[in-house]
Amino acid sequence: MQSKLSDIELIEQTLAGNQAAYTDLVKRHQRFVFTLALRFAKGREDAEEIAQDCFIKAYRSLASFQGQSKFSTWLYSIVYTTAMTFLRKKRVDTDSIDDENTYIQIENQSSGYDVNNAENKSRSFYLNQAITQLLPDDAAIITMFYKGEQSLEEIARALGMEANTVKVKLFRARQRLKEKLERNLKHEAKELI
Amino acid sequence: MNNIEETLWNYIDGNCTPDEQKAITTLIAQDEAFRLRYHELLKLNKEFSAMEIDEPSMAFTYNVMEAIRAEHAEKPLKAAINKRIILGITIFFVLTILILLVYTLSNISLSGVSVSVKVPSGLKMPVIANYVTKPMIEGFLFFDVILALFLFDTFLRRKNLQKQA
Repeated sequence: MQSKLSDIELIEQTLAGNQAAYTDLVKRHQRFVFTLALRFAKGREDAEEIAQDCFIKAYRSLASFQGQSKFSTWLYSIVYTTAMTFLRKKRVDTDSIDDENTYIQIENQSSGYDVNNAENKSRSFYLNQAITQLLPDDAAIITMFYKGEQSLEEIARALGMEANTVKVKLFRARQRLKEKLERNLKHEAKELI
Repeated sequence: MNNIEETLWNYIDGNCTPDEQKAITTLIAQDEAFRLRYHELLKLNKEFSAMEIDEPSMAFTYNVMEAIRAEHAEKPLKAAINKRIILGITIFFVLTILILLVYTLSNISLSGVSVSVKVPSGLKMPVIANYVTKPMIEGFLFFDVILALFLFDTFLRRKNLQKQA
C-alpha cells in the first residue's frame, strides 16, 4: 500500500533518515519514470537500468531539491539527462537520435507481428506501437504531457528547453503520432484482408 | 491545414485567450469542416490521454533500495565514524596523561635544591653513534621514500574520488 503523504513530506522524512519514505517515493513514481526511460531506451532491460539510475541519483541529491518545482518535474529532468547520457554511452550520437531512419527498423519489425491476433488488438495497442516509432524527444514530450501531469512550462523545465519550443515540439509530435497510428492501422487492415 | 490543427490543439489544451476561445467556438459551431477536424482531434486527444504506462519488473523498488543501501555500506569507515567519538577518545587520553603527570609531579619531593643524579657504576650507557651506520641511514631514507609515495598515492586517489563525485 502506498503512502498518503505528499512528495514533499516523504522527501523530508527521507532526509531525516527514514529510508522507508524513499521506498514510497520510488513506488509512487516508478511506473512513469520507467515508461519515460522506455521512450528513450526502447528495451525493457535498458529502461530499467536508466530508471534505477535515476532514483539513485535523485536520492543522492535529494538534499539539493529546493521544492521550487514539483518533485516529479525535478525527477523527470534527471530521467532526461540520464537517458541522454545512456544513449551517448551506447554510441548513439545526437544526430542519430534526431534521425528518423534509426527507428525505421522498429517500424518494420512491428508490421506483420502477431498478425493472426490483429483483430484482438485494441487501438491502445496500436497507439503504444506508434509511440515506440516516434523519436525519443517526441515520445517523451507526449508521455510527459498526457501521463506525467506536467504543463508545458514544467516539461520545458525538465527538458531544459523554452516553453514555446516544447509547444511546437508537442504539436509536431502529435502530428507524427497521428500519422504513424493511421499508417499502422491501415497496414494491419491490409494484412487482415 | 497546419494552422487549423495548431489552433484547434491550442483550443483543446486550453492555451487560448478568452477572445480566441470565443472565436474558435463560433467557428466550430458554424464551419462543418472545422467541426469535423475538431472532433477528430478531440478523439485523438482522448486516446492519447488513455495511453497505458508500462510497469517495471516486480523487483524494481527492491533493486533501487538495495543499490542505495549498498552505496551507504560502501562508504569508508572514516566517514561513518562520528567525530564526537574521536573527540571523546582524545579527551580521555589527554586527561589520563594529565592526571598521571599531576600525580607524578605531586609525588616528587622538591625539598633538596641540589639534585645529584648518580649513574650506577655497573650501568653501561649505549653509544648512539654506533647505531647511526650507513645501511641504517639508507634504510631509514628508503622507508621515508615509500611513506611519501604512499601518502602521495592516497592524496591522488582522494582527489580522483572527489572529481568523480
